[in-house]
Amino acid sequence: MKKVFFEGILFIAIFASSVFLLSQINWVSIFKINEYRKVNEKKIGDILWDMIKSNHEENKNVFVHKTIDSLVARVCVANHIDKKDIQVHILESDEVNAFALPGGHLVIYSSLIEATDNPEELTGVIAHEIAHIQLHHVVKKLIKEIGISAIFAVTAGGNKTVIKQMGNILSSTAFDRQFEQGADMQAVEYLINANIHPKSLADFLQKLAEKENNSLKYLTWVSTHPNTEERAKYILKQSSNKKITAKPIFSPQTWKRLKKEIH
Amino acid sequence: MKTLLNEHEHEKASNSYLMSLVAIIGGLPLPIINLLATLFFYLNHRNDSYFVRWHCTQALFSQIPLVLLNTITFWWTMSIIFGNNFITNLYVGYVISVIIFNIIEFVATIYTIIQVRKGIHITWWFYGPLTNLICKIKV
Repeated sequence: MKKVFFEGILFIAIFASSVFLLSQINWVSIFKINEYRKVNEKKIGDILWDMIKSNHEENKNVFVHKTIDSLVARVCVANHIDKKDIQVHILESDEVNAFALPGGHLVIYSSLIEATDNPEELTGVIAHEIAHIQLHHVVKKLIKEIGISAIFAVTAGGNKTVIKQMGNILSSTAFDRQFEQGADMQAVEYLINANIHPKSLADFLQKLAEKENNSLKYLTWVSTHPNTEERAKYILKQSSNKKITAKPIFSPQTWKRLKKEIH
Repeated sequence: MKTLLNEHEHEKASNSYLMSLVAIIGGLPLPIINLLATLFFYLNHRNDSYFVRWHCTQALFSQIPLVLLNTITFWWTMSIIFGNNFITNLYVGYVISVIIFNIIEFVATIYTIIQVRKGIHITWWFYGPLTNLICKIKV
């Protein structure tokens, strides 16, 4: 019995030591896993963005772009995210929607900007989408929905039907609950670090939930981000015990001008 | 230590190890298949001679840690592909360790198949003494 016990413990110890020692080697860097993922995500993202761009009118207003960029920059700088990794695109559309594409493309529809009541709400949505990008949810969603082989096929040469299907999946279908919650929790952290109260994101979700109940049309962001009321509750809960020093993002005049120019 | 049993007994004992190898090939990527194969083989031969029973038991025990390790690898990989996890140095270290352990077990299994087929009793590290505790000579 003693021998069995001793050999059993030794067996576990050998395995645990092997895992420990091997995990000390920086395999992620040796195999260039992050670089490889980044290159592939960018490739897929660029293909998808080209397809989406061809079906929509892009907003080219310099002021609008600069203002939205400043919101993205605020989140990125406070959270040590390279701003160059996030490319913001504003599309003219009557759908209230925003979504992320692989490779750091962040697409915001003009109607979503119109639907927000203050820069904090808009930054809340942006932080949520940046969280999806940073947590690589977009590619994982595609793998789940269409399979890993289809993604390789797109990166290898491109299949128009699959690309179109990918675009539809990312712009008009929901992430699963686990990913949504993950992105919300990450967004709360991003907003707190950027001195923005996460309540703004919760408020926006509540507002959309109310509008959804009043059967307002075109609320795509609600349909792609379901359980809005429940999410608003846990965002508030998550931020309730955190010390938050909220600072204004920009002046009311700038916000007014943004709303005017986007209209 | 060579036994005085007949060829048929040697073959049956040797087959208990062969089961796990065949099931590994057939059961990938589901790691439970090799455990089930050795379990069914053990259940079929639990009333056979001590030599056959002993090796069936050792073959069965040897699969349990492997199944646990391979199952963790499988679900960890799934969580990286579909879930919130990422490839980390710990994951790669774990996978390499599991591969090394699988290779060691694979080589040891082939060696044991050959030796047991010849009627030579092979006692593995840890699994052998554990089998001795459970598998007793029936009086």
